[in-house]
Amino acid sequence: MIAGRYFDGTSSKGAAASLALGADGIARVHGLHHKVEAPFGEIEISERVGNIARRLAFPGGGVFESTENDAIDEALAHNRIKARAGWVHRLESRWRLVLGALVAVALLSFAFVQWGVPALANQVARMLPTEVDRRIGMGTLETFDRLMFEPSRLPAGKRASLERRFREMTGSLDDGHVYRLEFRRSEAIGPNAFALPSGIVVVTDELVDMSKVDDEVIAVLAHEIGHVRGRHALRQMLQAAGVSALAVALLGDLSSISGILSAAPALLTAKQSRDFEREADTFAKQWLRDHDVAESNFDAILCRMSGEKGRSNEAVDFFASHPATAERARCTDVN
Amino acid sequence: MNASPEFASGFSPSTAETAPRVNLPFEFRGSGAEYFRIWIVNLLLTIVTLGIYSAWAKVRRMRYFYGNTILDGHGFEYHAKPIQILKGRLIIFAAYVVFLIVIRAVPMLAILALPLAIVGVPWIIVKARTFQMRVTSYRNLRFNFHGDYGGAMSAFVGWYFVTAITLGILFPLWLHKRVSYTLGHGAYGKTQFRFVTPSGRFFAFCYATAAMSALAYALFFYVLFKSGALNPDPEAVPATPLDLARTLGVTGFAMLLAIAAAGMGIWGYYQSRFANASFGGLEIGNARVVSNQQAGALAWIEITNLLGMVCTLGLFYPWAKVRKARYMLQQTSLDTAGGLAEFQAAQNEAGEALGEELGEFFDVDFGI
Repeated sequence: MIAGRYFDGTSSKGAAASLALGADGIARVHGLHHKVEAPFGEIEISERVGNIARRLAFPGGGVFESTENDAIDEALAHNRIKARAGWVHRLESRWRLVLGALVAVALLSFAFVQWGVPALANQVARMLPTEVDRRIGMGTLETFDRLMFEPSRLPAGKRASLERRFREMTGSLDDGHVYRLEFRRSEAIGPNAFALPSGIVVVTDELVDMSKVDDEVIAVLAHEIGHVRGRHALRQMLQAAGVSALAVALLGDLSSISGILSAAPALLTAKQSRDFEREADTFAKQWLRDHDVAESNFDAILCRMSGEKGRSNEAVDFFASHPATAERARCTDVN
Repeated sequence: MNASPEFASGFSPSTAETAPRVNLPFEFRGSGAEYFRIWIVNLLLTIVTLGIYSAWAKVRRMRYFYGNTILDGHGFEYHAKPIQILKGRLIIFAAYVVFLIVIRAVPMLAILALPLAIVGVPWIIVKARTFQMRVTSYRNLRFNFHGDYGGAMSAFVGWYFVTAITLGILFPLWLHKRVSYTLGHGAYGKTQFRFVTPSGRFFAFCYATAAMSALAYALFFYVLFKSGALNPDPEAVPATPLDLARTLGVTGFAMLLAIAAAGMGIWGYYQSRFANASFGGLEIGNARVVSNQQAGALAWIEITNLLGMVCTLGLFYPWAKVRKARYMLQQTSLDTAGGLAEFQAAQNEAGEALGEELGEFFDVDFGI
């Protein structure tokens, strides 16, 4: 006998009742005002979730409700009635299995962020036209010009010769991107170069001044072209979207908290940004080899750039966007 | 039957007036540890089935929260079928893909997106709300929703434009219309809900929130200016976080922290007042919902939940959800005349039959 309450479905008023599963395959509910019975097969028994009240719905619309979950499970097992999703409840009620599930979720999430997201982002990027890259980069240079750039003060001849070589480099690429070289002066940024997804490569006067030969600048430009060609900005955006989607999938509906967690991709993608740097390095070195420019130019300029920046920011290396210079270049002949 | 027009649920007005008030508290019986186990197992099943199981997981999660919400000794029940939810999600996904393909093929059609949304959103709101209410039951009696398309169009879209034209001044009225539409058209069995909060209360807490936010922002920028972090001279702006910290100093930093805490407090104020004005304005038959959430308590729960989530890389999530549900329900009760009345089932209601007809409706969790 299982104690509970019977609601006949016509009103919210229920009455205390008890349930018995008979050996003849008939379930009977007895209450003060009710006497209901039905064969096991015609009763819909709700799945067990935690310890919420169980519902046994009878054909006429009446429901027997009881929180005696263990007694009900026992009675069902005794009468060989299969409890729906009973196996899920068994998983949910054993801490050892739950901890196993926790480890599995952690490993799968990690694997997804580490390999799944980048691979998916790469696939999606391939399906998108280079027009998308151009849109992403639109207006960026203008913003930087306002914030931290001044016009270049390099001699016109120097700029012209670098531009000529840049055109030679990019003319034969035929990858859908429209490349353009821009010179800017910026004390705030110092010797550096960067690529916008729209195909604009910006190099600072400070970098050109630091270089000993043009080939060193060319090596840096090759690296930046590698970024554009690899569509790293677009892939980074897609990856961030993928990680956010995962966070939302895992932690669905606690709105304010998932809002905070959407900042997490910025940290997670720092590692992926280093992967992009390596990819651009690989492209640059390959290009140098193919065009008979000494690879040592790449090492030399990179080592000099990192020497200039000093070692003050070693502590933030964990979240750094670039791999350590020692890993990227052999700095035997620094400066 | 003695049903007068105002009291469709079958008790006489005279008892409602003379019977002693009985306050029935809501209670949440779930626990964080128990919900953690359910959550993590269903997460794993969702991942290994590439998301398909998520519909089943959602039903289990919802049933856990509904079933542990106790009023007068009984829990609520969530009846949606996983297959319904899966079907709904597939329909939304398919519609999205079709939309993308059409836009790609005929970009000009993109201009139709806005009018289509204006016409479609009220329809979705009615369908989603009807679904949410009908899959909920208490004491084997289903809830229902009787709002119509015109009402949703007026409350959600019409009043949106009024708000936009008046530069947001009438936002509280828009909010009031939406809550009034969403809650006021509900029904339990055949007893219709009534929503009685006057719009004045919405004006009061919305304007108070706006005033406090403006003050907090003003203070925030004042501190930044004062400390030089927001110097009009670009040369003087600190470049690194370390420089910024140095410019701010201990006092500036403490003030920023205080402003952040005040921000959470303001958020708690808005959330609690919104809940109190919304749920607290609900009347059903001889019962009236009383909602008494406090700004500070809600903000504290949210801040500590946030810290817990950050410190445990998200594993605190189930406890966070349970804590919030427990507090919100603790502060909610039903004020009745002489105890919970007997509510009658709607005419067309025959047990589970209603649920099955709902396959076409999808479950969209719509905020008001």
